[in-house]
Amino acid sequence: MTDLKQDIKELIISSLNLGDVTPDQIVDDAPLFQEGLGLDSIDALELAVAIERKYRVTIPDEAVGKKVFSSVSALAQYVSENRPPA
Amino acid sequence: MRRALVTGGTKGIGLAIARTLAARGDEVVALYASDDAAARAAEEAMRADGFAYRALRCDVASAAAVDALFAAEGERGFELVIHAAGFTRDKLMLMMPERDFDDVVAAHLKGGFLVAKQALKAMISRRSGRVVFIVSPTATLGRIGQTNYGAAKAGLIGLTRSLAREVARFGITVNCLCAGFVETAMTASLPQKARAELLAAIPLGRAGRAEEVAAAAEWLCSDGASYVTGTVLAVDGGLT
Repeated sequence: MTDLKQDIKELIISSLNLGDVTPDQIVDDAPLFQEGLGLDSIDALELAVAIERKYRVTIPDEAVGKKVFSSVSALAQYVSENRPPA
Repeated sequence: MRRALVTGGTKGIGLAIARTLAARGDEVVALYASDDAAARAAEEAMRADGFAYRALRCDVASAAAVDALFAAEGERGFELVIHAAGFTRDKLMLMMPERDFDDVVAAHLKGGFLVAKQALKAMISRRSGRVVFIVSPTATLGRIGQTNYGAAKAGLIGLTRSLAREVARFGITVNCLCAGFVETAMTASLPQKARAELLAAIPLGRAGRAEEVAAAAEWLCSDGASYVTGTVLAVDGGLT
């Protein structure tokens, strides 16, 4: 799970072009959007696409998105539970 | 080579757009609802001209069908999406079965939603893309017998204006192309009297050609239209 969280942080930085942020600056349990990194719902679109492409996990609607994007921990949890077997 | 998805791309305006894009070097995947014979004929004609063109049967009103299509077409997706699929089922509204309303709205409006939604994923990753919805003067002028079609096309204009704002950040443009009266199989069913009245209302005094609509679609997909989004481009002889 720790590796997955690290992976996800790197994905957030690369897909959202947050060049000046390092993975260790992203707190596992801090909100990703609105507060935290100051990302908005349109950024979330891009992250949702990146997550779907990398992990084959779909974020089907806004309710799920809200829950999943609440923090890196929540996102890692969702990805590990919904990932298709490799 | 860009990849273009053209719904309704085996007949009428959709086929003309597919041909215009293919002729400038784009690889075209055309979707059609049911007419296998027309699809095979279109494939033969396009291949005879050396164009990269495939016609696939897909009900764009079905999320499952659209999702399966995009899964099969791979992660690269399409640089261009033109939603030209559709049909009319004209009736006065008081005589219109619920089904005729639902089916027309499903093909035009929901189909546009489903296809664009899938297509946007690759476009967002690539940070570029063009989406064009073919609409009709009925959307803004209205026409007797076309409450279903008019509502669906007006809906696409509304969808376009909002979606353009949602995806502008990713370098994706979303526009409507309002195609006026063009002689195609779809408009052939128009009664003679309605046809005469319609022609009389067109300032340029004639029906349009599918190629004239296709030229505008090509432009909306070109670099020259990079600063155009959320708008309705009318190619209708001045009707609207």
